[in-house]
Amino acid sequence: MKKNLQKFYSIFRISFQQEFAYKLSFFLWRFRNVMQIFLVFFLWSAIFSNPSTEFFGYDRDKILTYVFGILIIKALVLSARAVDVASEVASGDLNNSLVKPINIFKYWFARDISSKALNIIFAIGETIILFIILRPPLFLQTNPFYLLAFILSIGIALLLFFFILFITSAVPFWMPEAAWGSQFLFIVVVVEFLSGSIFPLDIFPAALQKILYLLPFPYLIFFPLQTYLGSLSILSVLKGLGIGIFWCGALYLSMKKVWDKGLKAYQAYGR
Amino acid sequence: MEKAIIVDHLVKDFEVTVKKPGIKGAISTIFSPQKTSIHALKSISFTIQKGELVGFIGPNGAGKTTTLKTLSGLLYPTSGFTQVLDYDPWDKNPEFLKQISLVMGQKNQLWWDLPAIETFELNRVIYGLNKKQFVQNLEELVTLLDLGKILNIPVRRLSLGQRMRLELVAALLYKPKVLFLDEPTIGLDLIAQQKIRDFIYEYNKKNEATILLTSHNMDDLVDLARRVIVIDKGKLIFDGVLEELVNRYAKEKLIKIYLTQSVNVEDFRKIGKVKKYAYPQVYLSVPRSTVAVAAAEILQDFPVGDLNIEEIPIEEIVRKVFSR
Repeated sequence: MKKNLQKFYSIFRISFQQEFAYKLSFFLWRFRNVMQIFLVFFLWSAIFSNPSTEFFGYDRDKILTYVFGILIIKALVLSARAVDVASEVASGDLNNSLVKPINIFKYWFARDISSKALNIIFAIGETIILFIILRPPLFLQTNPFYLLAFILSIGIALLLFFFILFITSAVPFWMPEAAWGSQFLFIVVVVEFLSGSIFPLDIFPAALQKILYLLPFPYLIFFPLQTYLGSLSILSVLKGLGIGIFWCGALYLSMKKVWDKGLKAYQAYGR
Repeated sequence: MEKAIIVDHLVKDFEVTVKKPGIKGAISTIFSPQKTSIHALKSISFTIQKGELVGFIGPNGAGKTTTLKTLSGLLYPTSGFTQVLDYDPWDKNPEFLKQISLVMGQKNQLWWDLPAIETFELNRVIYGLNKKQFVQNLEELVTLLDLGKILNIPVRRLSLGQRMRLELVAALLYKPKVLFLDEPTIGLDLIAQQKIRDFIYEYNKKNEATILLTSHNMDDLVDLARRVIVIDKGKLIFDGVLEELVNRYAKEKLIKIYLTQSVNVEDFRKIGKVKKYAYPQVYLSVPRSTVAVAAAEILQDFPVGDLNIEEIPIEEIVRKVFSR
């Protein structure tokens, strides 16, 4: 146990330093994030320029809280170093971790956590700056049930995203040239779109929402945020957590299976 | 003697997609990918004893690296049996991985943007060394490889030779018992090559480590390996001591002559094959069996200042082996 923690800390530390090696590009990337928020903020502000406007049950205040909530939750859930795994598989750089006495999943999870820690520090800073500039209405949840459920749902979301990433990262075992494509299609298009990180999912027709809620994607962003905002009944929260945990298990097992097969097909490119 | 490595009828096939040339080819690959099987290893067998240092020779694509990767558990054998230190490499048992190391001249494990000491510290924890062992091993390696001043400089700012030596440190910090070295001297200048060679020799002696080394650099093999395994096109074609390879394939010897006076080259052609003629030097290649007679004849009939009888350079022998 102590050994494992030590390993975790060492990987966390070196990964953190590595993220910081290119300071300029890191800051530029964060800057882009902030600009994106501005864009979304002003877009929704314009749509809701008349204070009495309401779309799909969202008024101006609610939608703006949503936008800010997404900033933080995305920084937590969707920032993952494991996006590099696909290209490591394709290039053969994975060799380095495979010949070491470490569990590859744990290794990348430690790196993920490190990347998330860095991101959350910046996301909070950015939120404070944006808050001062834009003065949006910010909702503070005080109900302990919702707070606890929120923390749990974030934990589930982290794992879900990690498993999804590792499953898509296995594609280049068979199609090394598809490393970037599979990642882009899945992470950027499917995940961002269906997780609610671009717009709230409840603007979809009810029937579609029902199907969506059975898939793992809403549990990445949308569900945790709704839980925090307290806009779901206690029963729906519990049900959501249940489905999230179910998907964690299912995706974990699939990931293991896919990687077992993938490693056998692995060609360990490069000399 | 105990066996460190056992390879028995090892076969490895790769599935690869064939791409026809040009844009048209690229598009047709998307819609109807054609797969072919490449037979990288066609039933290879050998065993290596504990503490042995064995050189692995073969042209590009012969299957050397594939063998090393299979033995370190990266590749799943298509068929056949492999065992390293009583483990099946594929199982990637942590206890097994703690005792082996794979060093690839063209793939690095050092964290590119950070000083090498950070990678070492990470490896210390991963391989479960305590601080005292770590400092001791590190100091030993750093002194042997003459690296003291560069441990704290970001890796990307170092030269290839410095990086390669640091790679060796990262790979040997935990004193692995089996070492797979893939082209450890590739791209290095002569001095750096020599440093690495001396080091490998020392490491093998001192730690009784089993080392399997591939190289295109014949000096590596002549200096280091008594035993060599030659593979070509996925097949093993020779396994034995280096001298035996020389005896088997070098049917000739080389006579190096320094003349005191210029002579007609044609006269040498009667004795042996003229390899080189650039006054005052003449290189003659002569069948092994008649070398003494030839030398005597030369000394008698020509204005010779100096005469040497040498083995054909190993590069040439290997070229001969592969061009059969």
